[in-house]
Amino acid sequence: MAASKTPLYEASTQFKNWRYSAQSLAKVRSSLNAAAVSVIRNTFELDEPGSSSAVSFLAPDEELLLVRLYVSKIPQLCGFFRFPEEVEATAVSYLKRFYLKNTVMDWHPKNVMLTALFLATKTTNNPISLEAYTNNIPKTSPSDVLDLEFLVAQSLGFEFAVWHAHRALWGIWLDLQTVPNAPPDRATSQSEVYDTALRYVRASRLSDAELIYTPSQIALASLSMASPELATEWAESKFPSGSQGLSALQATVAAIRTLIAAAEQPVDVESVRGVDLRLKLCKNPEKVVGSKAYLAKKAEEERKAEEKRTRKVIEVEKAMAEGDPFGDELAGRLDDDDDDD
Amino acid sequence: MANRLNWLQGKTVRKNTPAGSHSRSSSTPQVHSTSSTIFGGGVKDPSGRITEYSSDDDQCPVCKSDKYLEKKLRLLVSSCYHKMCESCIDRLFTLGPAPCPICNKVLRKLAFTPQTFEDLGVEKEIAIRRRIAKEFNKRLEDFSSLREFNDYLEDVEDITFNLINDVDPVGTEARITAYREANAALTLLNSQREEAYILSLRQAEELERKEKEMRAEELRREEEEERQEKESGKREIIERLERADGADAAKVVQRTKRERAEREASRKGVAPGKGAQALLRARMAAAAATAATKDTPHIPFQDDYYAYDDMFVLQRVYLDPSSEAVRKDREGIMRAGGYQVEEAWERAVRSAVAGLDLLPLDTVPSSYAMDQGGDVIMSSA
Repeated sequence: MAASKTPLYEASTQFKNWRYSAQSLAKVRSSLNAAAVSVIRNTFELDEPGSSSAVSFLAPDEELLLVRLYVSKIPQLCGFFRFPEEVEATAVSYLKRFYLKNTVMDWHPKNVMLTALFLATKTTNNPISLEAYTNNIPKTSPSDVLDLEFLVAQSLGFEFAVWHAHRALWGIWLDLQTVPNAPPDRATSQSEVYDTALRYVRASRLSDAELIYTPSQIALASLSMASPELATEWAESKFPSGSQGLSALQATVAAIRTLIAAAEQPVDVESVRGVDLRLKLCKNPEKVVGSKAYLAKKAEEERKAEEKRTRKVIEVEKAMAEGDPFGDELAGRLDDDDDDD
Repeated sequence: MANRLNWLQGKTVRKNTPAGSHSRSSSTPQVHSTSSTIFGGGVKDPSGRITEYSSDDDQCPVCKSDKYLEKKLRLLVSSCYHKMCESCIDRLFTLGPAPCPICNKVLRKLAFTPQTFEDLGVEKEIAIRRRIAKEFNKRLEDFSSLREFNDYLEDVEDITFNLINDVDPVGTEARITAYREANAALTLLNSQREEAYILSLRQAEELERKEKEMRAEELRREEEEERQEKESGKREIIERLERADGADAAKVVQRTKRERAEREASRKGVAPGKGAQALLRARMAAAAATAATKDTPHIPFQDDYYAYDDMFVLQRVYLDPSSEAVRKDREGIMRAGGYQVEEAWERAVRSAVAGLDLLPLDTVPSSYAMDQGGDVIMSSA
């Protein structure tokens, strides 16, 4: 640890490990996609030479589209289970982070979404029993959720704590009361502004905003979309007007506003359905139980384990044949305690 | 007086009280026989933890007298491992060596020993092993290789087994004799070594005991001193109060106490005496032991919690419709587990300003760990 102390947010794993720029996000996604495509292509070729040329693999933006569709399903599920906002936001973060380490072609987002939500209920201290959870979701068994749980946790690097924009928005709304010359009953008289801003925060969850900007910036941008005057008033109370910090903040807020506006457009379900159909053909056969490639991989693992076992047996036999079965290395340690008889 | 009234209470009075010159072990006080003088304590255990074996079903196989009729019956074991009562032993062997009434082996009175174990087989095995251990006391250092040492141990075990189970007794005895002649000097040397080792163990034990005693003594002394110091302090305060009758009493008490504290501190500064050295040594040994497994200390929280404090002024109360239900909750059901709305407010306001001035990243992160299958590498987490 450095001698100087880091501020709380900058010491969080969210800042240290899950902060990207727009370009690095694109790069991560395309490299993940390329790696997955080459691996899956190899598997297809091993299975049946020449078969991979007919398969059209998903592009990075198509993968992202699919993930976005399942991100938008999380609020519906949370509304059904009456989970608090925190669970919803955390699950969304988990799902997005998971697909920065894995690809859709390996793990279908449907099950990953269920697992991420279940994990979020636990990490935010809103637990629900697995039976109650899966019984209320059609065509889902407990194993669908649990099988992936460790994989998801591992992909998240076991970093479960997430800083959320909705909390920052609440903080801004409270802090607005301390702005000089503020009307005392602002929180109640203008509550529709807060509700609108909260809607924008929810919309921002469909975008990549939380992977690029800090929660407080996203909250401020949402507020500025609901009421630009209030947002400016608050921002100016935090930074001296005309300062460099204020202008940088305004530029950031403008960038987030475009992201949120783009995220507000509903996902075109038809195009996603097309992507999903193609995914059925191009997903990694090694991860589909019962397929030839899956069996081949299992056999390969079995063979390796068998090899290891035989090697060990040979080693032991060799040790038995050469010299003392009890080993010679004890000679130095034996002493006068052993001459009783 | 007490002795005279004993018969009234039904107590039996032993006629021959310890006036006699018998010196007997405490474990067998009831035995009355001439042989008791011969066998002394009987059991070869100086700590006195092992007692002689006897049961209510004991019966002498020679004269058939049993414990029921003869309360003082004591059975001893011959060198051929047959039991006999003391009166039979007296009767048969007082006049010199005689054959055993059971197996006809010639026995002597002196060779009878008390029984320690219920199973005479165990008794025999232990006696044999003790005898063998005395003769065959070679060590690993006396051999050029472990294999030779193991072969030697195997031989010794063979001989022991033969003796215990009476397999080829003549040949076995011959083997032992041959060994004894061949290794007389080495056996003697090893037995001396063994004695020296036992002696050193005993000395170490003694040293430790003395050290412990010394430490306890030191502690006692310190406690005593402290008590006296306290008492004298109290007396001093009272005396000063008497003399300075006009001055402020509280001040006098305070000053006296301060002075005393200073004196004590200076005394403790030079105090670490001889006894403390032993303690110090023990502590150093412990420290050396832990140093081997030392880990980097765990530091739970080092981040600056107060970094954003200059960016907001926390209010005592906010107008906050969303948390109204919690504040109105009189029974505190929602506040169970220590929920305090003030803390929630503080956290929200803090996160509202946290990272507000951070510029977005424009550089591409350098490292990205991924294996061939596209899965995350576990150790990179």
